[in-house]
Amino acid sequence: METSSQSWVRPLFIGAIQDVTESKLAEAAPRESEREWRRIVDSIPGLIATLTPAGEVEGVNNQVLEYCGRTLEELKQWGTSDTVHPEDLPRVIEVITQSMASGDPYEIEERIRRFDGVYRWFQVRGLPLRDSNGRIVRWYDLLTDIDDRKRAEAQLAGEKRLLEMVASSCPLTDVLTALCRFVEVTSADCHCGVYLIDWSGPRFRNGAVPSLPATFNDPTDGLPVRREIGPCGQAALFRQQVIAIDLETDPLWQESAIRPLALAHGIRSHWSTPIYARDGRVLGTFAIFHREPASPTRVQQDLIAQVTHIASIAIERALSEAALDKLRSELAHVTRVMSLGALTASIAHEVNQPLSGIITNASTCLRMLDADPPNVDGARETAKRTIRDGNRASEVIARLRALFSKKEFTLESVDLNEATREVTALSLSDLQRNRVMLQFELADDLPAVSGDRVQLQQVILNLLRNASDAMAGVDDRPRQLRIRTELDAANRVRLTVQDVGVGFDPQNVDKLFAPFYTTKIDSMGIGLSISSSIIERHHGRLWAAPNDGPGATFSFSIPRSSEAVPSPPNRDAVRAPAATDAAP
Amino acid sequence: MTRVRSLVSVVDDDESVRESLPDLLREFGFAARAFSSAEEFLESDCVDQTSCLLLDIVMPGGMSGPDLQRELTLRRQEIPIIFISAHADETVRPRLLERGAVACLFKPFSETDLLGALTTALRG
Repeated sequence: METSSQSWVRPLFIGAIQDVTESKLAEAAPRESEREWRRIVDSIPGLIATLTPAGEVEGVNNQVLEYCGRTLEELKQWGTSDTVHPEDLPRVIEVITQSMASGDPYEIEERIRRFDGVYRWFQVRGLPLRDSNGRIVRWYDLLTDIDDRKRAEAQLAGEKRLLEMVASSCPLTDVLTALCRFVEVTSADCHCGVYLIDWSGPRFRNGAVPSLPATFNDPTDGLPVRREIGPCGQAALFRQQVIAIDLETDPLWQESAIRPLALAHGIRSHWSTPIYARDGRVLGTFAIFHREPASPTRVQQDLIAQVTHIASIAIERALSEAALDKLRSELAHVTRVMSLGALTASIAHEVNQPLSGIITNASTCLRMLDADPPNVDGARETAKRTIRDGNRASEVIARLRALFSKKEFTLESVDLNEATREVTALSLSDLQRNRVMLQFELADDLPAVSGDRVQLQQVILNLLRNASDAMAGVDDRPRQLRIRTELDAANRVRLTVQDVGVGFDPQNVDKLFAPFYTTKIDSMGIGLSISSSIIERHHGRLWAAPNDGPGATFSFSIPRSSEAVPSPPNRDAVRAPAATDAAP
Repeated sequence: MTRVRSLVSVVDDDESVRESLPDLLREFGFAARAFSSAEEFLESDCVDQTSCLLLDIVMPGGMSGPDLQRELTLRRQEIPIIFISAHADETVRPRLLERGAVACLFKPFSETDLLGALTTALRG
């Protein structure tokens, strides 16, 4: 038998009754019995074929001919025609070739073309019939339509993928885009869009409309939520599904704002379904566009119900995350402002030092100019120093402003060494006053991290202050504070702050990061809790460990820039409707 | 015969202070030397010649200003000391004055304050 896919003839459908009567059957049967068998084969709810041992189609039952809408002769050309879906063909040929060679039964799932051009999934099982010598004389094929099951499986897999995206905090735009793509693949020949509603307008915001061009999407972004807009406006306001079967001819949509735009893009049909929050608010609408007049089938309605449910989970989650991020940022800001008080002495020192320089240099300068003869060179030099000290003072102020005035989470590339140096400069005099000996071990060539510089500095500042406070009562050993940066074994950037202070009870290690847990009388105990949430926001981890000797070590590690960029909360917040407004 | 100018020594860990303050002192008519730490000052040959010491209070990594004050007392080196500090902590002043400091100036201080303190120091 030939096994080349070129010359190989499809062994798929056989057993046509006419051929069966001509064939050399192992057992001879009376004619009446033959006809009886034919009736049975032609009336069972399944597709049956017989193949020669070489794999050629011998015969098929009527159901096969009806399904395919082809003659037996045409069906024999299956290996080169489009009877089997082109994507499945190489695999089908491979499996059947192997079975023909080995004589083992086969089972394969493939798409077979229906008379109307639609491919449906079939399970094809082939069994060999052998003669008394064990030679294969024929293959029997049973073809079972498994399209509904396949579709359900694909739909389930798609829904699972979408829910996984939601659960893993993918950006909302990505989830909604995948959701639209999923519907477009599952329910062919359509375009999908998710429109979010900002009820403070109220306005539509394009959540995701992946397969329509900007010329369609740009004008719809920001449209007011009004009934005159079209199906989406009505679906949102009347809180029900709106089906515009044909925008061109249906009198209902002649005046709608979306109609000319849709028709200009070849869109005839527009269905819109509200996406509800758990509390019943309308979060947005899910739209399906067709290029021909269309109304939804039951299968499509099921699909719409499923995806609007997933969309609602994704949108609600993004909204609550955005709200949480806002809250976190505000809380972080509050704690920063609170730490301002503790830093007052340090800040005064930082500013007084250059101010002193300015006054001293200016005095010197004047005296040099007043001399007889004036010392112009000296005066110029001291004037330069005055400027330098002035700049030094303004740098201190700029650092303070950066640290204490900013609220929003901003994503940028951060050199953790640099950020550490800056923040230690601010608290240096405080540390010095507490007789803390600062020891830097900053790794060379430390990769940058992606994050909010100020919030990361807040964490470092907090760890420094904790370490310093923990050593306040230590007098029997140098108050050594070690700051180390490195790239750890997991390829993450790690910062470690190690002190020789009072340490902590290992039993309380979990409590350390809980809000309002403190061992200090002048602390609210939210520093480490906030720090921990800031590091989590950066997809990192903050942990503590007691030292072998006295003191404790606090560390955090976050992914380096190229690895994973944390999704900035505002990216979704911009896209998501306002969290607090209720539906009208 | 030239009049021997009084030597004023500055001990401060801040480089810009070590740069600017001696220049002003020279403009006042003093000889001036600057040291970055108490240890450096003690090891120098200026201890015996110094008529007045402008001394920073907080200097990390070694002896503090008050440490040096104590050390000089132990060595019976009676050099008038003017403390200077960028830490505006008024509570340290009485303690330092009690131990014999002439003055305690908080940065930023004016030329007049500095001259006043120097005059007091050198008068004694």
